[in-house]
Amino acid sequence: MDFAPILLRWRFLADALWMTLLITGLSMLFGSLIGVVVAIGRTYGGRVLNATLSLYVDTMRAVPLLAILVWTYFAFPIAVGWTLSPVVAAVIGLSVHLGAYMAETIRAGLTSVRQGQMRAALALGMSRAAAVRTIILPQALIRMLPPIGSLLVFAIKDSAIASVIAVPELIRQSQVLAGVTYRSFEVYTLTMGIYFLLCYPVARGVDALYRRVAYLGAS
Amino acid sequence: MTLDWGVLWDHRDQFLHGVLVTIELTVITMALAMPFGLVLAFMRLSRLRVIRGLTTAFVELFRSTPLLLQVYWAFYVLPSLLDVQFSALTTALIGLVCNVGSFNSETFRAGILSIRVGQTNAALALGMGRWDAMRHIILPQALRRVLPALATTWISLFKDTSLVSTIAVGDLSYEALQVRSETYRILEVLTGMAAIYWLLGYPQAKLVDLIHRRWRTVE
Repeated sequence: MDFAPILLRWRFLADALWMTLLITGLSMLFGSLIGVVVAIGRTYGGRVLNATLSLYVDTMRAVPLLAILVWTYFAFPIAVGWTLSPVVAAVIGLSVHLGAYMAETIRAGLTSVRQGQMRAALALGMSRAAAVRTIILPQALIRMLPPIGSLLVFAIKDSAIASVIAVPELIRQSQVLAGVTYRSFEVYTLTMGIYFLLCYPVARGVDALYRRVAYLGAS
Repeated sequence: MTLDWGVLWDHRDQFLHGVLVTIELTVITMALAMPFGLVLAFMRLSRLRVIRGLTTAFVELFRSTPLLLQVYWAFYVLPSLLDVQFSALTTALIGLVCNVGSFNSETFRAGILSIRVGQTNAALALGMGRWDAMRHIILPQALRRVLPALATTWISLFKDTSLVSTIAVGDLSYEALQVRSETYRILEVLTGMAAIYWLLGYPQAKLVDLIHRRWRTVE
């Protein structure tokens, strides 16, 4: 066992880790935006909108991320005549996939806030939009913290699949490193350790944070 | 751009073979990961601290790292470590079963812990042993309760089987990507692959929703 050839190239792995964090962060950001819009549309938007959006959500639940990423990178550019870089394609694919799961989580949070809260806000003369924004959403967001924490862990882990379309993130660069150094055991074990150190504290941290703020979501 | 959708029909044997392997992988993995997960759950509830600690480490490691990396690890590292050669299919199953088994163990553990202590106490008061109480009183109730969670894991597993295509197991993704490189009909083949996954996965997603509605826990 010899980690030296890998540790010598630590800068290479640091860049890969940065790429993993970048695509995770961006897909979390855009996924949340998609999630909020879709969840509000499904909860308050009426029947037709609900049916359309639920088709999107269930499609993302049914099709593997690998198929979505490969399609976004290889097939989508042919259909529309653009070229996409692997990173852009990965962020689009990851966001569209994560957005569906976000939407379901946020919707569950929104519907968990009792109906009386909305009625009280309307009775006070608030518009529906204002009621959702200032009364429902703040309570729902607190309650959504644990499931959003697990989605963040899933987002980190799912970003690994972007290696299939040659995004230079941790897994992809580990393969490169294993090829250069012939040290598969050390490379993959080290990468496993890096992912564990990324994901495990996130899961525990969100749990701890939730325990401290849970009372804010109670009504 | 001229599209040639006939390419899908021309390679129907390959696609069909891929679909069968995908279904086979999902079914076999779940069949093995259920008993494995149950054993892990018992070990985490063990009274011996060593067993509890080791099992927790195993479960958390597999839950906190990407499945793709676990599959690579089983493919590139495990054989040299144990000095045995597995087929790609066996390697894929080892990775999938360890991963899904870890998630199942948490599901089972939560289910077992959710049954009120009074149930165990009553069984013990009736003169049952601990193991009999677990087998006849706790487990039947717990298993019913965790069915929705297991269904959710099932559909994740169905999607995750696509990742084993990276170690050349001939599932639907692998076969489709092969057809793509043989024919260069990228848009048609990748769209076809996503559509087949959708046709298989969408009814499963709907079934999962149904199971969630039917078996919702009511205390």
